Amino acid sequence: MPAQLLAAEKLVKTFGATLAVAGADFSVYPGEIFGFLGPNGAGKTTTINMMTGLMRPTSGRTLIDGVDVACRPVEAKRLFGYVPDEPQLYGKLSALEFLNFIGDVYGLDAATRKPRILELLKIFELSGEQSHLIESYSHGMKQKVALCAALLHAPRVYFLDEPTVGLDPKSARLLKDLLRQAADAGAAVFMSTHIMEIAQALCDRVAILHHGDIVGMGSVAELRASSAEQTLEEVFLSLTGGSNHTSAPLFGRPA
Amino acid sequence: MIASEVRGSLADALLLSRALLRHRALAVLRDIKSPQLYFVATLAGVTLFCLILAGTFIATATLQAAQAYGLLASIPAWAFLVYLFTDILIAFGQALGDLYLSRDMPILLVMPVRVPSIIAAKFVLGVVQNEVYVAVFLLPFVIGFLLASHVAWWAYVMAIVGVAAFPATLYAALVVLTIAALRIIPAKAAKETLLLVGAAVPTLFWVLSFYRVAHIGGDLASLRLPDPPKWLPSTWLGNVLSSLAAGQPLHALAWMAVLLGVTLVACPLAMAAVASGFAHGWSGAWATPSRRIRNAARALRPRLPVLWTCARKDAWIFLRTPQLWFNHIAALGFVGYLLVGHKTQTPLLPMTVQLAMVQIGFVSILAALNPGMIAISLERRCAWLMKSSPLLPKEILGAKLCVAYAQSAGIAVVGAVALGAGYHFGGLDVTALALFALLMCACGICCGILFDSAFPSFEWENPNMINRGVRMVIPFLSSLGVLALCAVALWICRLALHGAPQGAAAVCCGLAGAAAIVAIVVSASLRRASSNIEALEV
Repeated sequence: MPAQLLAAEKLVKTFGATLAVAGADFSVYPGEIFGFLGPNGAGKTTTINMMTGLMRPTSGRTLIDGVDVACRPVEAKRLFGYVPDEPQLYGKLSALEFLNFIGDVYGLDAATRKPRILELLKIFELSGEQSHLIESYSHGMKQKVALCAALLHAPRVYFLDEPTVGLDPKSARLLKDLLRQAADAGAAVFMSTHIMEIAQALCDRVAILHHGDIVGMGSVAELRASSAEQTLEEVFLSLTGGSNHTSAPLFGRPA
Repeated sequence: MIASEVRGSLADALLLSRALLRHRALAVLRDIKSPQLYFVATLAGVTLFCLILAGTFIATATLQAAQAYGLLASIPAWAFLVYLFTDILIAFGQALGDLYLSRDMPILLVMPVRVPSIIAAKFVLGVVQNEVYVAVFLLPFVIGFLLASHVAWWAYVMAIVGVAAFPATLYAALVVLTIAALRIIPAKAAKETLLLVGAAVPTLFWVLSFYRVAHIGGDLASLRLPDPPKWLPSTWLGNVLSSLAAGQPLHALAWMAVLLGVTLVACPLAMAAVASGFAHGWSGAWATPSRRIRNAARALRPRLPVLWTCARKDAWIFLRTPQLWFNHIAALGFVGYLLVGHKTQTPLLPMTVQLAMVQIGFVSILAALNPGMIAISLERRCAWLMKSSPLLPKEILGAKLCVAYAQSAGIAVVGAVALGAGYHFGGLDVTALALFALLMCACGICCGILFDSAFPSFEWENPNMINRGVRMVIPFLSSLGVLALCAVALWICRLALHGAPQGAAAVCCGLAGAAAIVAIVVSASLRRASSNIEALEV
């Protein structure tokens, strides 16, 4: 097996007395798309924030291609691209200016950068809006710009937090194709999602997080086999207790 | 369907007012995570209150001793006018922020509550927020003025009622103006336009007033400020106060009746006008005009060093966000205030280069603090980008410093030249003013950045709302502390080198001392700010 590109080693995060992530431990290998699933508040975004250096872990560490994010942050950050759950970008810059800024930050030379920016804007159908301020973009368009920024420097590791939220079906399909291409080219993709169909269709392995603990990890087939459930959704619900219904009905027949 | 109670408009308005005020109070309390910070902020607020009170008391007593009755009669109206001008800027932003750009408005509008009740509750919220500024800035002035005038207890009650009513009239007028503006321009553009007008018009008015100050023969008793416009509520309130101080209760009562009568009529009228015009403004409020950047493709230039690309990004944001310019307009406007004050102050305290340096130092702090205090917070929810990109804290900090210094240093130098020209200083003195201004700019920015890096605020809708409450007070007082130290250095050198040719040596030594103090502050602040940025969690 090739050397891991992303390794989370016993990542723990506490907020006061609250344990948000309880020792997340996993690896992602070149060519692999790794899905991170969990109910709301399970600790998915906190885990991603720790791995990308947005938050310091209480204990544990993250290695990106062997580089410790906490000890050598700049070197580690050069190796990954990140798309957050909310596409918050500089509203007072145009998409072109923003992507050029990203190009500068990642040290891309002009000869590489210009065609790549224009190509990314074209494939995400943003060429017509590339000179407009980002503040006037819709949520989906901002999400596309954030994706362009993450893809711009062709990183070895991708972190994507709910990347398909806000995207139209065509763009969501395009994103899935691009992620598969990136993985086939040797990158490691780590993505969190709520959409079981995407995880089932796209991810080589998944981890299910519940109350900060990884309660299941493996390929979809392995998880199904280990829990004797038929679908990934059923596996997810059985591991996270999501199939319990409230005892009393909330709604009656309209009068 | 579950049966629910149906309330009247007034009951709705009361219910909402109480709820909104409670939410705002809780938000303020919960914003403050550190008890120490809360303590320091309260202490700072109390100190500011006491300083204004003591300053007003001493100045009033001095003027009374000099029998400067002309000045005493006109000072309250001018002081309230200064507040009115400042409040215009705040209230425009508040009216837009509370009514059209408020995050809770969509929730309130889908509730089974009448629109006029929502407007009334928002109006009450706006007035109460203004009352906080009144309590901190106007109340100590009023108490100090009346204390020095030895008035009876009921005069205090009357003055406090008048001061409390004052912001309601002002807010009513500004809310209606805002609504009227929204008939022509969409809310997001109106916000910038109104704030710009709110900053520029009072400043221009004040600077032009400079030429109207009557000063006869250098005698303080004969000095008189021009009459402020009679139709402004600030003049009515000023007349209440000066009449009370002069022992003319009937006169004061008459002006009080005008003030309260107008308030009682203006507020319901304003609410009705806003409620009737609300739908029009609301429908256009959320449209962000699509702005195309000319020659945007030129952005794809050859690679820049990281620090410069970050600085260029921050500079673009500054240039494309007019709200960030108001601070500088206000700082420059303060030079006009100083020039007006100069004619009244000179008989009390003779003008020296050192005094002018301290004055321009204050202006520089005004110009520099805000850019420093919002430098990190301006990243807003894009802070994830700053933290997840391969950037060193010193690169982030360096870019922020460059942009903040470039904008405020320009303002400080222009202010220094204007002040020097107004005081008829020579070239060397103006140079000294400019150098001192540049030093204090560095100090203001570093104090601001240090505080902002320790307590960044990424949740805001309007950049002018970043510096509210505690955030405003602590860096401001820290910078004033450094300015006070530098002033002491200037004065010691002046005393020690008295008699040197034209005082140039005293000024140079004072500048060197101030530079040493600022260098210590800057170096310590930046080291701490850099480690704060490194430790920042998003």
